[in-house]
Amino acid sequence: MKIGVLTKQVPSADSPLKLDGGGKWIGEENVTFAINESDAYALEEALRIKEETGDGEVVVASLGPQRVQRGIREGLSKGADRGIHIEESLPYTSDPFLTATLFANTLRNESFDLILSGLQSDDLGLGQVGVLLGEMLSMSTATLVMETGISDSTIRVKRELEGGWFQWTTLKLPASISIQSGINTPRYPSLKGIMGAKKKEIRSIARNEVDDGGATLQTLRKVYIPQKVKRTEMIEGEADQVVAKLIDIFKRDIKVL
Amino acid sequence: MTFSLLEKTVLAIIIIGALGSFFYEVVRRLRIVARGTGTLPLDRIPQRLIRTVKEVLFHRRVIGGRFWPGLMHGLVFWGFIVFGVVTLDHFATGFGTPLLSENQHHLYSIVVLPFSVLVIIGIGFLAYRRFILKPHTLGKISLTSGIVAIFIFLLMVTYIYGEMSPPLLIAKVNWWLHALLVLAFLVLIPKSKHLHLVFAPFNIFLRPFDTPDHDAVKIDLEAPEEELDAMLEGLTHLSKNQTLDVFSCVECGRCTDACPAHRGGGILNPKHHFMLDLRQPLLDGGSTAVLDQINIEAGWECTACQACTFACPVGNQVEKSDEIRRLQVLVEGAVPQEYQKLFMNLQETGNTEGAFHSPLAERLPKFTPDKEYVLWLGCFARYELDPNFTKSVENYARILDSGGVSYGILEEEWCSGDPANRLGEKMTFQMLMEHNMEQLSQVKKVTSMCPHCIVNLSKEYGKFTDIHYRVEHHTQVIASLIDQNRIDVSSKAQGAITYHDPCNMARTMGEVEAPRRTLRTLAPDFFELEEHGTNTLCCGAGGGLWWKKEGTGRTHLVRAEQIVNSGAETVVTGCNFCYGMFNQGLDPLTPEGRETVKVKDLADLVAENLA
Repeated sequence: MKIGVLTKQVPSADSPLKLDGGGKWIGEENVTFAINESDAYALEEALRIKEETGDGEVVVASLGPQRVQRGIREGLSKGADRGIHIEESLPYTSDPFLTATLFANTLRNESFDLILSGLQSDDLGLGQVGVLLGEMLSMSTATLVMETGISDSTIRVKRELEGGWFQWTTLKLPASISIQSGINTPRYPSLKGIMGAKKKEIRSIARNEVDDGGATLQTLRKVYIPQKVKRTEMIEGEADQVVAKLIDIFKRDIKVL
Repeated sequence: MTFSLLEKTVLAIIIIGALGSFFYEVVRRLRIVARGTGTLPLDRIPQRLIRTVKEVLFHRRVIGGRFWPGLMHGLVFWGFIVFGVVTLDHFATGFGTPLLSENQHHLYSIVVLPFSVLVIIGIGFLAYRRFILKPHTLGKISLTSGIVAIFIFLLMVTYIYGEMSPPLLIAKVNWWLHALLVLAFLVLIPKSKHLHLVFAPFNIFLRPFDTPDHDAVKIDLEAPEEELDAMLEGLTHLSKNQTLDVFSCVECGRCTDACPAHRGGGILNPKHHFMLDLRQPLLDGGSTAVLDQINIEAGWECTACQACTFACPVGNQVEKSDEIRRLQVLVEGAVPQEYQKLFMNLQETGNTEGAFHSPLAERLPKFTPDKEYVLWLGCFARYELDPNFTKSVENYARILDSGGVSYGILEEEWCSGDPANRLGEKMTFQMLMEHNMEQLSQVKKVTSMCPHCIVNLSKEYGKFTDIHYRVEHHTQVIASLIDQNRIDVSSKAQGAITYHDPCNMARTMGEVEAPRRTLRTLAPDFFELEEHGTNTLCCGAGGGLWWKKEGTGRTHLVRAEQIVNSGAETVVTGCNFCYGMFNQGLDPLTPEGRETVKVKDLADLVAENLA
C-alpha cells in the first residue's frame, strides 16, 4: 500500500498573530508553526494502515516555504518513509483549486493507492484540497472520515454527518480521504525515529517548476482582525415602546430572535 | 550431650546441603545484581556506616514508620542477634566441640532467655497482625510468612526447652529439632522476602544519598548510531542498586501506603509495580533488562513525590516512573496527547504554556552582574498558571527590597526542564538545560519560589556538569533575612495556621527547617499537619501531573482533603504548584457553612507582617 499524506504547517494556536505590512497575511516573526492538527491525525492513520498491511510506503507532501521542511521531518521521525516539498515563497497559494493542482501535478506519477489529508487547515479552513486532488487524480473521495478499514482494493470509511449521524461507505482504491481530528492517538517521535529521519529523503521542487494550470480561481484580497466595537444605546420611552424597540434590536441587530 | 559419628556425618551432610542451597540462591541473585548498569556507590563510608547502624541496629525507619509492628519486628531482630552465638554454639556442640563452656553457656542464657520470650512476643504480634488483622497493605496471605512465623516460634520454644535440662533422649530430639529448623530456615531465606535478612543491611549501606537518584540520560544526536542504540537499549536495564532493591524488598507495603496515587484510588501500587513485578522477570531472564515489564499506565500516574522511597525500611529507591516514562517517550514514542502539546510548547517557546509574553517579567527588575541574586521565576509564576500567585511573587520581591537584597530576573529564562525531565522527555530537558546553563554562566546565586525549578537547576543539572552557582529557595532566603535582622517582622496570632511541605523541598532538597523558623517567628501558634516534614503528602501536581488531563483518580484531592479536615483556617506552603492545587482543590471540598481555607505562600505571610 502506497500512501501519500498532505500536511500543512500552520501557526500554532497560542502564537500571537499580527498582520504583516501588506495586509494579505500574518507577520511570521514570533510565530511558532505546527503541523495542522487534523493532518497529524491523517499521518497517524497512514502509519497505522501501513503497519497493519505490513508493507508499503508513507510519503509526506507539503506545500510552503523552507520552514515546512521541519514539519515534513517531524512526519519522517514518526515513521513516514520520505517527503516531498513544493517550495514556494510569499505570497502563499491560498486558492484550494490551485493548491490541489500543484499537488496533483507533483504527485501524479507516485500512483498512490491512498491519499490522506486533514479535514481542513486550521488557518484558512477551506477544507477542499483533499477532495479536489482526488478528483484531479481520478480517485474515489470521502471527507470527514472518523474510522477506516482497509482491504486489498477497497477502503471502508465512517463519515461524520450533520446532527450526530454517521455514514459507513466503501470506496474503491485509489482513494483520497480527508480525516477528522480524533480518529486515533497520534504518536510522538521516538529518539530512534528522530535519528532515522535524518537519513530519509525530502525531495524539494520549486513551485514554479510545477505546472499550476495557470488559472487562479480565488484571490485573497485582505486579511484583517475583526473590529470589536463596544456600544451602549439607551432606550427611552414608555414600557411598550421600549419592549417593541428591544424586540426589534434582538431581531435585526443581535439576531437572537 | 554427645553425638555419634553417624549423627555427626548426617549433621555435616545436612549443613552442607542447607548452606549450599543458601549460597547458590544468594549468589544467583548477586550475579544478576552485578549485571545491572552503573556501579555500587562506596563514597562517604563513615556516613554510610552511621546510617546503617541507625537504620539496621536501631531500626530507625522500621519503628519510625509504623511504631508497634516496627517495635515487634525489632524484638525479633534483636533476639536474632543475641541468638547468633547460641546458634553457632548449638552446631559446634553437635560436632563435639562447643564454643562456650558449660559455665559460659549458663551465664549467656541469662541474657538469651528473656530475649527468646521477647522474640515470641514479637513474632506472635506480627503473626496476629498478618493473619488475623490482615491489613490491606500486606496483600495476599503469604504461606512462607506463616511457615517462618511457626519456625521462629518453634526455634524459641526448642531453645527454652533445651535450657530446662530435659531428660537426655528428649533433649536430643529437641536438639535435632532446633538444628533442623535453623537449617530449613536457611534454605527458605533466599527464596522468599526473608532474603532481606541478608540483603537489607547492605542495601541500606549502599542506598544513594540523593532521592530520587535516576541516572542522567545523556543524548548526543551527533553520536554514531551504534552508540545511540546502545544508550537506548540501556534504558531498559535496572542499575545494580535498583536490582539489589528488588531482591531486598520485604513486601511490607509501606511504599504503597504512602503513595498519593494509590491513596487517590489510582492503579499505581509501588510495591508491585516498581518492585515485585520485576523480581520474577529478573530471575527468569537472568538479565536486568526488565524495565519494559512495568505497567505503563501505573507509571504515568506517579507524582514522583518520593514518599515511597522515604517510607522504605530496607533502603530501596522505589520510584521508577522516570525509567518507565523515558522508555515510553524516547523508545516507544507513546506519549499522552496533553504531554505532546506540553513538549511542543517547550521545544518551540522554551516554556510550558507556549507563551510569548509575560507581563509579570516585564514589571520586575532585570538581572545585571552587580546584583546578588537571579530571581528565577519558573513558568508557573512567569506565565501565571495561577494568576493569584503573581501577588506572591510580588510579595517576595517586596521582602527582598525590604531586606536590601538586590535581585533581577533573566529575560531569557526558559523552563528549568522539570516537566520534560519527570515525564521522560530527556532530549527536550537537555535542550532547555543547555540554554539555561548558558544564561546562568556568570551567575553566583539564584533564588526561586519554585521547588521544581530548584531541584532541576541544582541536582538535575549537576548530573551533567559542575554547577558553580548556589540555588536558594525563597523560604531559605527569607529565614536568613529574619535571622540576620535584615527584615522586621511582627509576630501575631494568625488563627489556625498550618504548613504544607512541598515534596521537592522536604524530600529531595532536605529542607524542612527554614520555613518553620519563619513560621515560629510570625505565627507562634502554627500547628503541624499529621503528615509533615519528610513525611509530607504530595499535593498531586508533581511528576508533570499538573498538565495531566483529569482522570479517574483523586490523587490531587487527598492532600487537600487532609487540609480541610485539619481544621486549618490558613495553609501556608512554599511551592507554586502546591499553591495552585490548593487554590483549586480546597473550595469544592469545604463543607457547607465553613469558610474555605486560605492558601498562602510563605512570602505572602511574611509580606503581610513586615513591620
